[in-house]
Amino acid sequence: MTISKIAKHVTGALLSVGLISGAAQASDKKDIVFGGSIPLTGVFAFAGVGIHAGITDAVKIINDEGGIEGHKLVYVPEDTAYKVDASVAAFNKITSQHDVNLYYGDSTAFSKTISPEINRLGKMVMTGASFASELDDPEKFPNIFIPGPSYTDMTGILLNHIAKEKPGAKVGLVHSETEFGRDPVEGAKATAKELGLDMNLIISTAPGGVDVSTEVLKIRRARPDYVIFHGYVLAPIPEFMTQARAMGLKTKFMGTFWSTDNSMVSKMGEVADGFLGVMPYNYYYSEQENAPMLDKIRSMRDTYQSNAYMQGFFSTMMMAEGTRNALKAGKELTGANIKAGLQEIKDFDTGGVIGVPVSVKGNSVPVGRVYRYDLSKKQMVPASDWILLD
Amino acid sequence: MRIGTAKENYIADEALFDTNVQRGWMIALIAALIALPFLSGQYAIYLVCLVLINIVSTTGLNILTGFTGLVSLGQAAFMGVGAYIVAIMEIHLGTPFLLNLIVAGFGAALVGIIVGLPSLRVKGLYLAIATIAASVILHFVFANWTSVTGGVSGLSMPPASFFGSELIQPDQVYWMIMPITVIMLFGAANLFRTRIGRAFIAIRDRDISAEVLGIRLLRYKLMSFAISSFYAGVAGGLWAYFFRVITPESFPLLMSIFFLAAIIVGGMGSILGGILGAVFMTMVPEVLKMMVGVLSPIWPDAVAVMSPVRIIVFGALIIFFLIFEPEGLAEIWRKIRRFFHLWPFKT
Amino acid sequence: MDWLFFSEIGLAGIGTGGLYAVAGLAFVLIYKATRVVNMAMGELLMAGAYIFIGFSAGLALPVWISIPLTILATGLLGGVIERTIIRPMLGENAISIFMVTIGLGSVLVGLVEIFWGADPHRLVDFIPSDPIFIGEAYLSPKVGYGFAVAAVIIGLFLVVFRTWRGGVALRATAGDQAAAYSMGINVPKVFSLVWVIAAMIAAIGGILVGSIGGVSPSMGVYGLSVLVVVIIGGLDSLLGALIAGIFVGLIETYAGAYLGGEYKMLATFSLLVLILVVRPYGLFGTHEIERL
Repeated sequence: MTISKIAKHVTGALLSVGLISGAAQASDKKDIVFGGSIPLTGVFAFAGVGIHAGITDAVKIINDEGGIEGHKLVYVPEDTAYKVDASVAAFNKITSQHDVNLYYGDSTAFSKTISPEINRLGKMVMTGASFASELDDPEKFPNIFIPGPSYTDMTGILLNHIAKEKPGAKVGLVHSETEFGRDPVEGAKATAKELGLDMNLIISTAPGGVDVSTEVLKIRRARPDYVIFHGYVLAPIPEFMTQARAMGLKTKFMGTFWSTDNSMVSKMGEVADGFLGVMPYNYYYSEQENAPMLDKIRSMRDTYQSNAYMQGFFSTMMMAEGTRNALKAGKELTGANIKAGLQEIKDFDTGGVIGVPVSVKGNSVPVGRVYRYDLSKKQMVPASDWILLD
Repeated sequence: MRIGTAKENYIADEALFDTNVQRGWMIALIAALIALPFLSGQYAIYLVCLVLINIVSTTGLNILTGFTGLVSLGQAAFMGVGAYIVAIMEIHLGTPFLLNLIVAGFGAALVGIIVGLPSLRVKGLYLAIATIAASVILHFVFANWTSVTGGVSGLSMPPASFFGSELIQPDQVYWMIMPITVIMLFGAANLFRTRIGRAFIAIRDRDISAEVLGIRLLRYKLMSFAISSFYAGVAGGLWAYFFRVITPESFPLLMSIFFLAAIIVGGMGSILGGILGAVFMTMVPEVLKMMVGVLSPIWPDAVAVMSPVRIIVFGALIIFFLIFEPEGLAEIWRKIRRFFHLWPFKT
Repeated sequence: MDWLFFSEIGLAGIGTGGLYAVAGLAFVLIYKATRVVNMAMGELLMAGAYIFIGFSAGLALPVWISIPLTILATGLLGGVIERTIIRPMLGENAISIFMVTIGLGSVLVGLVEIFWGADPHRLVDFIPSDPIFIGEAYLSPKVGYGFAVAAVIIGLFLVVFRTWRGGVALRATAGDQAAAYSMGINVPKVFSLVWVIAAMIAAIGGILVGSIGGVSPSMGVYGLSVLVVVIIGGLDSLLGALIAGIFVGLIETYAGAYLGGEYKMLATFSLLVLILVVRPYGLFGTHEIERL
């Protein structure tokens, strides 16, 4: 364990002591519980740790500002190792010990599993790490909220960007052979067709596959102008890019949310220069006028926080805002009322977490921005304006 | 000291429980199982259900590995077969759950027999690897036979219904899981009072000698595979009713390893061992989680730091038991009992 | 039929196979001398790769110092594992030992997550990235150089195995432990030595695999493919591991290229089943005759 990690734990402990003493003077209104199945270990741990930190900080900020209409927000996480049964176990444990109104789920499979249960309990809304297109359906999933655009919307934003840059371009899609990876394939095909793009290559890669040179050879044959990666965090994207560059391909590479984290892209090395990614949020370091929340995040954490952190942070803000709307309207805290509160959110100023005021549409917040990796700055920098989908 | 256990005939010697005291304890245990949902919260019942499902599957694996001496790393995949069968029947046919579970058991048994076919030629570790191959192939089928299994996104199924009322909450599904587990356990215990069970043990101890004694190896090995996978299939079916969503990722290789670890920790070749192992291995992560819960007010990142510890503890338990107590928890249990049997005399 | 594509895939397959052969070599070495099926092979590779990260990125040492240090440290780890976990299991049945190594794998994953976290990592780029063209066919430089290193390691190992005194002791132990012991060979020491050497080879394999595919705590999955290799080749055959390594590498890449990524595992494992049915002891394994 490094010194900085220990220091982080110590500061964390001190912070929590502060929290406890602060809690003593909190109002006597009932706590609002935000439960979470968080993948702190396992294949998605990279994201889970960030999400956990993001939610923790957002909850602290909300409580420091007097909670949600005077109600204290309490965050109750459980580790799931990114396994559905462990997530369900966590859900059962948390709901049997607390009166839960808000929940954070870690995977698409879990969201689908627990959704009927949430509908039946009727008192909570769930957000989560999944941007699955399937969940973006208020009819089928009335109590689910996606803190950003769905994967299909993300690829849509990228394809729109491509269509603007180079009409009629050839586009490839490389995805992992998982539910997460396959999610936007059909949607992306349809969007590409609409935009007049030629999606001439779709490659699926086996999880745990090491060598990608055969896939790169396929790219070399198809010579797409753009390749979108989906369903990865880091590997095998850098390998794809290195080899494609070595072959002299001029293909531009793009990623969706979970492969656009700045620290991950930085790890890709020099080939990452020019890598494009879509993100609904600002980065930790983004410069923006009038961004009190970003400043607060930077004052709470002095090192770079991942985009998973921003995701967790934003999810918490939105969930709190939805709850606030429901409470303001004097309604009881039920799933339907909180969801209605979420859907009321219109032109909401996130204090710089997202650069534009956002509105909830359907189950999601269809906003995003294309970023480009700038090697000289070692940062993802904006490559487009904020794009609001309808 | 225990007295009055003189056996007067072979039937008494073979009996499942030798004394009235044992029978009494058994009745008390079952009474406790019946009383449980009325006394505890949803989460406790949830855990008990999970433990019971794991017990069924672990016992199945114990029949194959602990009693017949054939190592399998395919138990989770067989559970998957059962789970998919139950889900498909529930979605498309809506047949009663008992029928679905039985079909799931037989379906899994059939797959088990096919996987077990090489077992006459292939032995020991080669067999273990062959079962890994079987689970990889089954995983591929689950993930790619999209029209039937729903592909990578899997299947969502309606809850089981019992005389018109739906079994949704853990305390409702419990009434399906608990009796079936008890019946399956009695079945397994009784199996080893029959010729088949004794043949299994003979094969485990020395298969060539068993063959010389007139036990047809292929037949009994396949039978062991079939029974073991039947248990896995039923466990998988219960799992499906319990979680109501099945994806190809629900039954990973790690789960097979978990069951193997459970029989090692519990005690191979002992029904009690399988039960203890399943309980122990399911509860250890819970205990660790509770420790994290206790620590989290003073150390908020405990949950993140303690998580790898869980993986280490899982591995360390396997290593520890294999090195220091190869007979497992069942042996520890026997030692404790012996202590009380000999109590006033051996001090 | 696009023959250029076909041959390029073939080259990539052979390259991948070379890496399998290295890991297979370490695996077979352990099995031959100690009769331990090491299910933690993938995790040992992973540990090697992470130790390399520790030296090259953590301590920021140059690559040419980090590599030998990594090999030494992983070798030491192998020795420690043998003394603390494998030695006490001597004489237990094969299944127990097999399970001990599974437990070991789990412990290694947990330790790595504690020290380095769960994030995926990339190794320092030290392999040249200029493309290799054999004729017109392209070969990924990392795979190409990886294969070259693998070939050198294997060659070196075979020479040592044949000529060095320790190599002879090792072969004698593999042949008959009791006879070797009575001829004055320190068999327990050979056991330790084998684990040290195998762990060193695993470290090299881990660095190569890690620099191609990245490093993460789930890298141990690679061990499954290695398992296929050694079972197909025969658990106790060094030659088998080399041939099966290349063979599995080829099958895997061809399946991946022509059928799709999801068929890779299916193809190799189906092959495994097929071989087991036809030749239960693998292509080159020793058929053990059972006696009562």
